[in-house]
Amino acid sequence: MEIINTYLLSVVLASLLANFVISLYAIFFKPHYIKKIIALTIFSDTANTFAIFIGYRRWINQNPSKVPVLTDLNPRAVEEFAKLAVDPLPQALVLTAIVIGLAVILFLVFLGWILYSHYKTLDMREIRRLRG
Amino acid sequence: MSGETGIYILMAVVSLISTLAVYMAVVEKDLVKAVIYSALQSGLYTILYFLLLAPDIGLVYIPVAVGLIPGVLLILISKTERWEKE
Repeated sequence: MEIINTYLLSVVLASLLANFVISLYAIFFKPHYIKKIIALTIFSDTANTFAIFIGYRRWINQNPSKVPVLTDLNPRAVEEFAKLAVDPLPQALVLTAIVIGLAVILFLVFLGWILYSHYKTLDMREIRRLRG
Repeated sequence: MSGETGIYILMAVVSLISTLAVYMAVVEKDLVKAVIYSALQSGLYTILYFLLLAPDIGLVYIPVAVGLIPGVLLILISKTERWEKE
């Protein structure tokens, strides 16, 4: 049973890596600007998911984890909680990263609008040819 | 113990479907469809966050990644061009 659980989590990790590779390919080699923005959102979401996946802590405590919400303040309960709960620090960091990513995407969208009003196209090959 | 395995099976299925959605979003020539595939990938990631015991991330991530970013990208597509040329 244990080896099946490890295999299933490895499938999750492998598909997240595949998402990384596909979105990096799209950022570098797809010529259209909006397609690059879409690939950038997928890339940042996958990076955030990796952080959450590390914070799941199954590799450390080998137990089914708990949601990081503390309801009982008695010291023994706090000790039990620290052993079993998932790590809340990556969750706090990812919460900030999602909002900053939204701001960056909005900036890139308005940059694309100005780019289109200057060059009348969003194809990067055309823009490279038209420049200067 | 078998409930735990069920959760892991669900996580594996969700992440495999999200890889498929990412591939479709990258190869699609119609940008509106690409944005919709990207929103599908974001919804699947939200399920993955809930299963990885981070429900607060899910609550923030749904309106941002399924609502706001595809909405803004669709506005940009309507102001500019829809088809990606080969």
